[in-house]
Amino acid sequence: MGSAILGVGHHLPDVVERLGVQRPIAIEPIGPSKLAARAAQSAFAAAKRTPADVDFIIFATMTPDVTFPGSGVYFQHELGCGTTGALDIRAQCAGFIYSLAIADQFAGIGPYGCILVAGGEVHSSGLDYSDRGRSVACLYGDGAGVAIVGSIDGSRGIRATSMHADGRHHREFWCEYPASKRHPVRITVDDIRAGRHFPTIQVDKVREFTLGAMPSVIHETLEKAGLRAGEVDRWILSCILPEAAEEVAHRLDLAKDTVDIPSARHGHLTAAALPVALSEGLESGTLAEGAIVGLAACGAGFAWGAAIIEL
Amino acid sequence: MQRNSRILGVGHHVPERVVTNDDLSRCMDTSDEWIFQRTGIRERHFSEGWTGASDMGAIAARQALERAGKAPADIDCIVFATLSPDVDMPASACLLQEHLNLSGIPAFDIKNQCSGFLYGLAVADKFVKSGTFDHVLLVGAEVHSTGLDLSTRGREVAVIFGDGAGAVVVGPEADTDQGILTTHLHADGKYAEKLWLESAASRDRPRLSEEIVAGEDARTFPKMEGRYVFKHAVTRLPEVIQEALVARGYTTEDISLFIPHQANIRINQAAAMSLGLPEEKVFHNIDRYGNTTGGSIPLALYEAIEAGRVHDRDLICLAAFGAGFTWASALIRW
Repeated sequence: MGSAILGVGHHLPDVVERLGVQRPIAIEPIGPSKLAARAAQSAFAAAKRTPADVDFIIFATMTPDVTFPGSGVYFQHELGCGTTGALDIRAQCAGFIYSLAIADQFAGIGPYGCILVAGGEVHSSGLDYSDRGRSVACLYGDGAGVAIVGSIDGSRGIRATSMHADGRHHREFWCEYPASKRHPVRITVDDIRAGRHFPTIQVDKVREFTLGAMPSVIHETLEKAGLRAGEVDRWILSCILPEAAEEVAHRLDLAKDTVDIPSARHGHLTAAALPVALSEGLESGTLAEGAIVGLAACGAGFAWGAAIIEL
Repeated sequence: MQRNSRILGVGHHVPERVVTNDDLSRCMDTSDEWIFQRTGIRERHFSEGWTGASDMGAIAARQALERAGKAPADIDCIVFATLSPDVDMPASACLLQEHLNLSGIPAFDIKNQCSGFLYGLAVADKFVKSGTFDHVLLVGAEVHSTGLDLSTRGREVAVIFGDGAGAVVVGPEADTDQGILTTHLHADGKYAEKLWLESAASRDRPRLSEEIVAGEDARTFPKMEGRYVFKHAVTRLPEVIQEALVARGYTTEDISLFIPHQANIRINQAAAMSLGLPEEKVFHNIDRYGNTTGGSIPLALYEAIEAGRVHDRDLICLAAFGAGFTWASALIRW
């Protein structure tokens, strides 16, 4: 048994101008679970499924609605999916790839008719839009995407997935506070004043790592799928630095018109970036049923991964 | 060709510092009798210094590897269940990976609260069953103590939680009637805010502020409506255990030992009674650790093994209920 993506949907908040760039940013107080519930509506329509069909939920986010519980249960309740299991995954920028790989495991052993794989982020509420934080804040956007994964006979669908992480670099792209390791309390007023609750990124190190990790995981995944790069119809390359993704495409010699870099148009949507771009591609016609798509992501952790899927 | 998975080794770690109910009664209006009557807890452990979930998880993981007869290099994937990650991002799994010098393999966190370990076990089981990975390191660890309101205002929740960690190595098993036989996962987000910790909340704008951190409304501390948790737990636990028994054609009589998540001894006693499980088939250690959430089941499993209560071919039943609400069960032929 294998698994396939049966439908995708996305939802982006209105685009506003911040720090001189256009970004989808949630102005109203809203969490990723609600953005994802909106995204799920078009995924249900595309997959010809309803909330009653859902037999498992996987929710990837690094910006959960609340500290706990995870966003998956809010999403589940918002959609009305009974008491189906709702797994929350935290793998930062690689969250969707990891979640897709997990869905593929469940559906491959299955059978599962309708696993919702959601990636949702509301970054804007946790960014520093002042001069101090603008270089990081301008890199992000908010949004959500949902893919419906189901068991299928045969080997079409999700052809191959790869996941990796290297925690030695976790301080090079991180947000330290609130930190449960900080005793006696996770965050203080002083931490807030010093801006220690905002993400920091060492751009050069992230770029350097991405240029090594992303081509390598793409080669690995192509090999698992038994394909050459030229046999892939479309590449979606997700990382916080669009110019690094461009360089990856260049080094892999990917034809320019086959490459989509979602962070170049939305800012980085982290776990949401790949399902949003898939959904946009299907909506605009750059992707169609039967297309072979290569997905790759690399970011904080560092965690990275890739997937080759046939739509 | 499908194979099964099984737990090859179990490890645990709790910080040194013991905090008794009497210790708590010195900073809040409570008493040993009040806490023990309602929860079964006598004491818990609190970490100190800059100890995070990954620091404790690494110690538990090394022990689990040793018990499994495996080296860190044998591990193909790290799954870390926690609701109290070391830092806001990235995942504690990545920090654990640094501790164990396991660069390159996948590492991710699961946030499913008290059911986190069993959700993680289901994921590890699938990865091993499918042949994708041979050995998955599953860790559950929490540092609750830095997120509790240790004053009278926060006492209802603060007295329950303790810090602790457990870990298991999940590996392949050729016999499909042996090892992890079945896992069952559920959730109901309708009750998300009956046991929860609100801030930092991405749905707030801004997510954090001086007011939120210093504020009187204490949104950075967990809150619980205990009667909802109790009522749902005593229904959902027997239900999800029955679901597992039915899936494999067993009855309650077949269970050798029931190791529930350690949230409240009254809940676990009520669940066992409703299933018709005699007291001697139920494992408790909440008296010494409180609720260690992601860490509680592996910590209890470790102690049950040490106490000689887990034998070859025993049918072990694991189950959990907690925040989300989420609940889950697993049956293991040891």
